Amino acid sequence: METFQRIVKLGYTNFWRNRWLTLGATLLMTLTLIMISVSLVLSLIVRDLATTIRSKIDLTIYFRDDAVSDGDITALGDRIKLQNGVAEVSFTDKRAALSIWNRLPINENIKRPVGESYNPLPRSLQIRTTNPDNIQSLITTIAIQDSQKIVCNECVSYSKNKETVDRLLSITKFVQRAGLFLSVFFGIIAVFNVMNIIRITINARSDEIEIMRYVGASNAFVRGPFIVEGILYGVLGTLFTTIFLLLIAYLVSSTINSVFASFGVDFFQLILVNLWTLIGIQLAIGVLLGVIVSSISVRRFLKA
Amino acid sequence: MQEILTVGSPKLTRPITNPKVRVPLIEMKAATKKYGNRAAVSDVTLVIYEGEFVCLVGQSGVGKTTLIKFLTKQESPSSGSVFVAGRNLADLRGSELPYYRRKIGVVFQDFKLLPQKTVFENVAFALEVCGVARADILRRVEKVLDLVNLGRRKNNYPNELSGGERQRAAIARALVHAPKLLIADEPTGNLDPVNTFEIIDLLYRINQKGTTVILATHNRQAVDRVQKRVLLMKSGKLVSDQKTGKYVI
Ligand SMILES: Nc1ncnc2c1ncn2[C@@H]1O[C@H](COP(=O)(O)OP(=O)(O)OP(=O)(O)O)[C@@H](O)[C@H]1O
Ligand SMILES: [Mg+2]
Repeated sequence: METFQRIVKLGYTNFWRNRWLTLGATLLMTLTLIMISVSLVLSLIVRDLATTIRSKIDLTIYFRDDAVSDGDITALGDRIKLQNGVAEVSFTDKRAALSIWNRLPINENIKRPVGESYNPLPRSLQIRTTNPDNIQSLITTIAIQDSQKIVCNECVSYSKNKETVDRLLSITKFVQRAGLFLSVFFGIIAVFNVMNIIRITINARSDEIEIMRYVGASNAFVRGPFIVEGILYGVLGTLFTTIFLLLIAYLVSSTINSVFASFGVDFFQLILVNLWTLIGIQLAIGVLLGVIVSSISVRRFLKA
Repeated sequence: MQEILTVGSPKLTRPITNPKVRVPLIEMKAATKKYGNRAAVSDVTLVIYEGEFVCLVGQSGVGKTTLIKFLTKQESPSSGSVFVAGRNLADLRGSELPYYRRKIGVVFQDFKLLPQKTVFENVAFALEVCGVARADILRRVEKVLDLVNLGRRKNNYPNELSGGERQRAAIARALVHAPKLLIADEPTGNLDPVNTFEIIDLLYRINQKGTTVILATHNRQAVDRVQKRVLLMKSGKLVSDQKTGKYVI
């Protein structure tokens, strides 16, 4: 126990004594962790976006007010439900359409004229598919069945959105890949930098290590303080990264939120919800990195 | 000092009951060290007994330090073998090395004290890193500092001490594990004649109390002063071995 305390104390003392070198290593560690965290957050956002976008691909069929009764529409809905690849069909009547309208984030002047007395909003069927690829064939099938022309022209949401949605999906995939690539790339660079700095701090103490070896310090005691130091790099790096992340999230969340508003992404909330996971991942990576790099660097001294 | 006589491996701790029975402490058999195809130490065979004081002399670069590094296992011979206390050092595993080193004290020309630690802390450090309890450390460090007559300077930093005092601090650190063997490699190389004699006399006293001492030096006065066994090296070879010697080249 006394030995353990001594090892921790020595590691801490060394860490503090070379504070400028240590600061450099800590900053590099922080940079690595920031890179990793940012790409993590990015992939979280992308995941949320992908979900939202996929739900946007769901098919909505709007019906002309004059051509068909509610009963016919639900009957059609029941038939569609039997088709292959359809997960769920739900009917929105005029009242439901109005309440959705009222909740839309649009100008009050446009909103106001529409109400119980004047409601031009079409009734619709929302169709969720098991796979967005099924939609095209579904549309063809529905068009064939639509002998009465009950569906209003250009009122199938998917064909209108298809291009945009496809583009968004490909952008999403690209961002995800780029994020992964960048964080791996910078991660590797940062690992080498941290390695170099820890090496320098260890070399700066080669006298101490040499003396420890002469007086018969056990390998654990020689290695121990450096492991402690490695852990400190990881912990401090995590601390700085978390502070940085929260600060950035706080500062830019309103901008980001407005960009992604239609997708329902709240950036700050996203980070808060995943904060412990993020901290956990950072801590694991940081401590592991610090310990591995320290052990590798000090091994050289343990040979003779 | 009682401790110094009793700590160590079974072989190392055997008390010297009868000074006439000579127990070999170090045996080298045809020990050779080659760097590239130049031999730093070449075919050295010798026996050093417990309680001896041995001067290892020779000009610069003849292989004294290399020979000493065999004993601390910083170097291993390229051929031949080295036994300490009956144990072939080649068989010593890496994990055993620290425990082996606690049984030998080593002193160098450049002292190798940690500048940011006081004399007391420097000596205590040797025990701390070996897991000795705090109370024990206090007692043993005080004792060994008294032995080298440095009690009054224990709270000074190395740069506040004279060369002789620094070397005494280094000797105290080497002795604090109560080793059976003390190796001094050029301990007086940085010292003036007065301090040199002081250190040599200290080594002599340590030897008188039972510790085997190996002194590598090219200081003629030091060797002549102790009047002990002299091993002379020349280009890696052991060329003469005198019982009570004078420095001759
Ligand atoms: N690691 C090494 N690699 C190559 N050559 C070495 C190495 N260590 C020592 N030597 C060579 O071995 C020879 C013996 O060196 P050593 O240090 O043992 O001499 P020494 O007798 O201690 O000299 P000095 O009195 O100057 O300390 C020298 O020629 C030296 O250059
Ligand atoms: Mg030498």
